[in-house]
Amino acid sequence: MDQVNRRMGGTFDRSLRAAWILFAMLTVPVLPSAAQIRARLSEYDVKAAFLLNFTRFVTWPAAAFAGANSPFAICILGDDPFGSGFDQLVSGETVDGRKVTVERLKTPPQPKTCQILFIGDTDKDLPALLEGLGTGVLTVGEQPGFLRAGGIIKFDVEDRRVRFDINRRAAAHASLTLSARLLGVARKVVKE
Amino acid sequence: MGVRPYLPAVLRLYEKDETRMPRLASAGRAIGLLVLLLSRYPLVKAQDQQALTATSNQLKSLTLEQLSEIQVTTPSKEPEKAFQTPAAIYVITSEDIRRSGVTSVPEVLRLAPGVEVSRIDSDKWAIGIRGFGSRLSRSVLVMIDGRTVYTPLFAGTYWEVEDTMLEDIDRIEVIRGPGGTIWGPNAVDGVINIITKPPTETHGTLASAGGGNVDQGFAAFRYGGGNDRGLDYRFYGKGYTYGPGYHPNGRNYDDWRGAQAGFRIQWSPSARDTFTLQGDAYHILAGESVSATTYAAPYQRIVDANADLSGGNVMGVWQRTLDNGGDLLLQVYYDRTNRWEPNLADYRNTFDVDFVQHLPAGARNRITWGLGARASHADDPVVVSGLQFLPYDRTDQLYTAFLQDEFSLVENRLALVAGTKLLRTNFTGFEFEPSVRLLYTPSDKETLWAAFTHAVRTPSDAEENFYLLGFTGSVVNGIPLLARFNANPNFAPELMNGWELGYRRILGKSISLDIAGFYNHYHDLFDEELTGPVFLEDDPPPEHLLLPAQFGNGLYGYTKGIEVAPEWRPVDRWRLRAAYSFLHMNIGKLPHSADLGTAPGIVGSSPQHEAWVQSSLDLTRKLQLDLTFRYVSALPGQAVPAYSTGDARFGWRLLPYLDLSLVGTNLFQPDHFEFGGDPEGLVGIRRSVYLKLTWTR
Repeated sequence: MDQVNRRMGGTFDRSLRAAWILFAMLTVPVLPSAAQIRARLSEYDVKAAFLLNFTRFVTWPAAAFAGANSPFAICILGDDPFGSGFDQLVSGETVDGRKVTVERLKTPPQPKTCQILFIGDTDKDLPALLEGLGTGVLTVGEQPGFLRAGGIIKFDVEDRRVRFDINRRAAAHASLTLSARLLGVARKVVKE
Repeated sequence: MGVRPYLPAVLRLYEKDETRMPRLASAGRAIGLLVLLLSRYPLVKAQDQQALTATSNQLKSLTLEQLSEIQVTTPSKEPEKAFQTPAAIYVITSEDIRRSGVTSVPEVLRLAPGVEVSRIDSDKWAIGIRGFGSRLSRSVLVMIDGRTVYTPLFAGTYWEVEDTMLEDIDRIEVIRGPGGTIWGPNAVDGVINIITKPPTETHGTLASAGGGNVDQGFAAFRYGGGNDRGLDYRFYGKGYTYGPGYHPNGRNYDDWRGAQAGFRIQWSPSARDTFTLQGDAYHILAGESVSATTYAAPYQRIVDANADLSGGNVMGVWQRTLDNGGDLLLQVYYDRTNRWEPNLADYRNTFDVDFVQHLPAGARNRITWGLGARASHADDPVVVSGLQFLPYDRTDQLYTAFLQDEFSLVENRLALVAGTKLLRTNFTGFEFEPSVRLLYTPSDKETLWAAFTHAVRTPSDAEENFYLLGFTGSVVNGIPLLARFNANPNFAPELMNGWELGYRRILGKSISLDIAGFYNHYHDLFDEELTGPVFLEDDPPPEHLLLPAQFGNGLYGYTKGIEVAPEWRPVDRWRLRAAYSFLHMNIGKLPHSADLGTAPGIVGSSPQHEAWVQSSLDLTRKLQLDLTFRYVSALPGQAVPAYSTGDARFGWRLLPYLDLSLVGTNLFQPDHFEFGGDPEGLVGIRRSVYLKLTWTR
């Protein structure tokens, strides 16, 4: 009798467990593990993280901001490849006590409104655009010839990894100080 | 060739569209209102918000150095590259395939303009590009990851066995027009290149299952993974069972089922080298109705039975990036196919080796050269006496060499691409397949191209070693009158000279246009000729009257046409595409030809007009609606009237990793005819509705 019970119980347990696993698989929203994140990240998720990270390794002059309380603005000019995930990324972040914001622009920014300017796919004349920005703006782009046109940091995807090149002369021209660590991680540092 | 095709679809959904709203004023108030409503709809729900936050927090915690080491997924750049290609190329992306809701490779091809896809019955298709649509598509070369699936048995592709996991297809490049210079023989009217994703892009688990009235049941599973030392892999398995087409007489012989499994492993020990090993195996039972002819009574009978189709392949590829900016590729594969039908059998082993190298030569030239060899050994035992290959077993060989130069006449603006393939098969002497292409890109948003190409369709076993008996239906004094196509060892290659002109344009940020026109001149085309008067034959026994015939090269002529493919993306989550193709065929017989009527059959088997319109709309972040309308003009050669029909797909993301889709195809009528080929006559292609769940982790 005991044996029969145990056998019955065993069967019952097993089917219950199977049902539970199925249920859990279908309903529990599982947070992705680090490994999964690694496999699923799009190029622009990582580029967004880089943009935020740059704030820690670049020093902006006080003249780069409109006022003592104005936010730290990361601006995107032209098409926005990042999406709202970027807003999520910067929410709650600060740089030297300034709240970090993400702004999408249709026209080049006024002086002192953007501290980082990401230039997406744009029809505008790049050298003229970069020339007109004034100082205190870290310009980041990915088009071919971006550094030659006077940009400071250019992204590139190499071997499925996001890398970046730096134009030191353009950074100096914009009165920005780049840390040695940033220069060290860069794939290439040029003076154009 | 989309507008801004590099934007990953997943990110598009998050984007704000305010900037584009004013444009809609002119596009009709109703549409504007709809879009307005959609753009105000809350797009990000709490659950996705959670997942986003988790990703963001993890990303934030990484250092610069760690960020530089993360492997990212990048959207395919191929549609962009295609824009500046001097050929009529159309790239079907994985997103296009997913949103079309189709369940087989041939059905996917309906998405490409200028491709005629007609379903004969549930498990057979007739496909043509720029004309010459037929069951085996003898002048279209089809490849899966560089492996040729064109068979030298009857010259062409057995579409029902060419399959892979649809979710793992990265893209299908459809090239209309000759591509023999690069891809070799039989790429006369077009090339179809099915390219699966590298295993670096398929990490994780994907499981899908579904079923409906025609696509009765199907399931697929894939698992992929890898380490940070350059080793990545995936394996998959799939199975399906599909119902028959519509048969007024209820014969329903064309139901079918199959299973396939495969793997792909990639190892990149350094940034220079990548090694790939991949393989597939399948087994399919495909119901069919065939005519089996014998010298003895009853001479001819119709047999409904399952074709037993199985096979497998294994391929190794080595790719190396060279210091000078060039690269090289070495590819070796083995392919086995087993085909048993109620009237024929073919057991085939194919070995193939290919080498290709790109070499920059100076600032202006980029040279590509390659060598290839293939041996295909077949055993074709006799199943019925009326259909025989002699000799029963033989080895077909192909040797190729090619050289091409891309010469920049004006940097980034004007380029000339010239080259030739040199080939030799056991059926032919040496043949050249030269081409000259001119590419003019006045800006990044405009492309004008022109091309001249000479292409060759090589003879196959079906022309040179094949004896096919038919029964005329008359019996005279107890002696049957039979007709037979005899082998023609002198069958010559079919030749084509193609002239093409194309134009692509991106207008503003949301409209693109692709136009291509062609004039193809053919000679030595296949025909069916009577070769003599009726005579009494007693070998093979029993005694019979025979009308002798053979396959010859008695036809010539031209085709001309134009294909137009516009695309409009009024807002980022709404994509409207259309395609129209016009085809005129003029094929006639040479004065000496005793053609039995092949020419009108060929001309009447490709539609003069074909058009489709497709709308892909993301209703919200979680709901997608895709609608397609198709029109195909009449095929007098197949007694098929013109038809219009529509497909619809509704996709719903139930959970971040669980998708539900409801798909309906051929919705306008209970069934319609597309192409002939079965002995009983036309088979109706039925309205199909199915539900599918896809789980991705």
